[in-house]
Amino acid sequence: MNANKRAITDWIFKQGFKTAGVVTIALLGGIFFMLLYNSISFFIKRSPLDFFTGSNWDPETNYSILPLIVSTAFVAIGSMVIAVPLGILTAAYISEFAPKKLQIILKPIIEMLAAIPSVAIGFLGIVLLGPVISVLFGIQNGLNALNGSILLSVMALPTIITISEDAINAVPKSHREASLALGANKWETLFKVTIPAAVPGLIAAVMLGLGRALGETMTVLMATGNAAAIPKNFLDSVRTITATIAIEMGEVPYQTTHYFALFAIASILFLITLVINLLGEYFANRLRKFHQ
Amino acid sequence: MKYIIFCFTLLIYSCNSNKGTIKVKGSDTEVNLAVVLAEKFHDKNDSILISVSGGGSGLGIASLLNGTADIANSSRSINDEELQLFKKKNIQLSTFFFAQDAIAFVVSDQLPLDSINTKDLAKILSGDVKNWSSLIKQDIPINIYGRQNNSGTYEFVKKILNIHFSANAKQMNGNAQILESIKADNSGIGYVGAGYVMKGTTNGIKILKIFTVNSKAVSPLDEEKIASGSYFFQRPLFQYYKTQDYQKVKPFLDFEKTMEGLSIIKSSGYYPVKK
Repeated sequence: MNANKRAITDWIFKQGFKTAGVVTIALLGGIFFMLLYNSISFFIKRSPLDFFTGSNWDPETNYSILPLIVSTAFVAIGSMVIAVPLGILTAAYISEFAPKKLQIILKPIIEMLAAIPSVAIGFLGIVLLGPVISVLFGIQNGLNALNGSILLSVMALPTIITISEDAINAVPKSHREASLALGANKWETLFKVTIPAAVPGLIAAVMLGLGRALGETMTVLMATGNAAAIPKNFLDSVRTITATIAIEMGEVPYQTTHYFALFAIASILFLITLVINLLGEYFANRLRKFHQ
Repeated sequence: MKYIIFCFTLLIYSCNSNKGTIKVKGSDTEVNLAVVLAEKFHDKNDSILISVSGGGSGLGIASLLNGTADIANSSRSINDEELQLFKKKNIQLSTFFFAQDAIAFVVSDQLPLDSINTKDLAKILSGDVKNWSSLIKQDIPINIYGRQNNSGTYEFVKKILNIHFSANAKQMNGNAQILESIKADNSGIGYVGAGYVMKGTTNGIKILKIFTVNSKAVSPLDEEKIASGSYFFQRPLFQYYKTQDYQKVKPFLDFEKTMEGLSIIKSSGYYPVKK
């Protein structure tokens, strides 16, 4: 009787978990097919060649994703240039050099950075960072790719620091001991032994940080000026894929070419983020193997 | 048991009374005005509830189409593509022209320019002219501050000048951000709803007078000129509704035509329609 009851409970829970899993996968699949279906509707109306090679995003006449992709790349890569060295060095400091007490304070503070709402960061970009940039570089307006990059680097930092720190921590102690025993000092050990050994984990950190930067919408929408021209340098205003969708989706007449075009650029963004997250996962998995 | 039945009747009753709600959605330009009108209207008829929300002209029309709004506020006339969608669903549309808005072009008060020709304006906004040197004796590049392309204001300026905006035009989040940028940028030019500059302070900015080939320079703040229709950038504000819903929305539309409604329109920074 008792054993029977346990078998039934076991079965119920198994089915429960199975349903939860299936529902999640079905939802993801549904989103994917909706994106794909609407994108196909767009490519039936407009040639993919114009979409990828044109130079102008001007709804109703020209739908070209190129300026949007270049803008997104500018902001995302710019943010990584700032966030990666800063993040990895912070992580190295926390895991290798910081005294235990400081470690306990620093880690939650850094994780708190992730809790700041993106609107608040975007607002800082408008009222604080924008004017500073315009004074520093002697330009008329500070809403540009540089502004967006700096803000996004702040947003990507918690991800990068947390994962990098795990990666550096995961390097076996024997590596460091061997290095120190051979006469290397602390810095040599860090830069020549520990960090190289943690590289797969660091790449995973960068990839996940990059994924965060690519998908961020509100901050870039507020702080980058949203000019849909192909930017020439970091002081030009840019308009990312996410901002374009956010701006135009609320207004677009449904089931029109413009509507489908927004799905098409969303699909491209989805593919880019997917590839980057998969790469991140791949390197994170290598780290786990290394850990064993 | 009786109690439960009572609850149900209450529930059904509240659903019914919900049908007395007129949902107004659409243009962000009109949303503040619509809210004031709705409040004053509700003071007089508390049997009818009015809910007002913004989101843009396009959203309002889309909501009217899929039934989540009864009145669509729009600062542009409905376009052909949208009209087709209504036809496809067999919905008859009616239009109510309830107020006028004007668009003001602003520059920094440090720019030695007081009025501008519509032709030059078109060249500047489309990016054909990139430097102020052709208009004034200063060699500074032009920065354009406009609205995002979901804004009715954006569409209106684009249509009336018959241009495509320069891809370098910055798209700001709203009137306030445009004015702030113009204050800081002596090479900037931007456009905002005239109601916005009428109420706010004009420190650091200058409102340009507009002239065309065959008209004198007119300022958007000149009410009489607007009433006579001689300012170039003035536009009607529309409210669209389904013809079949006329009885439902009539009380509110009627209120907008009363003296009180007209004075609210005026004090909100818009121009009443001269009949």
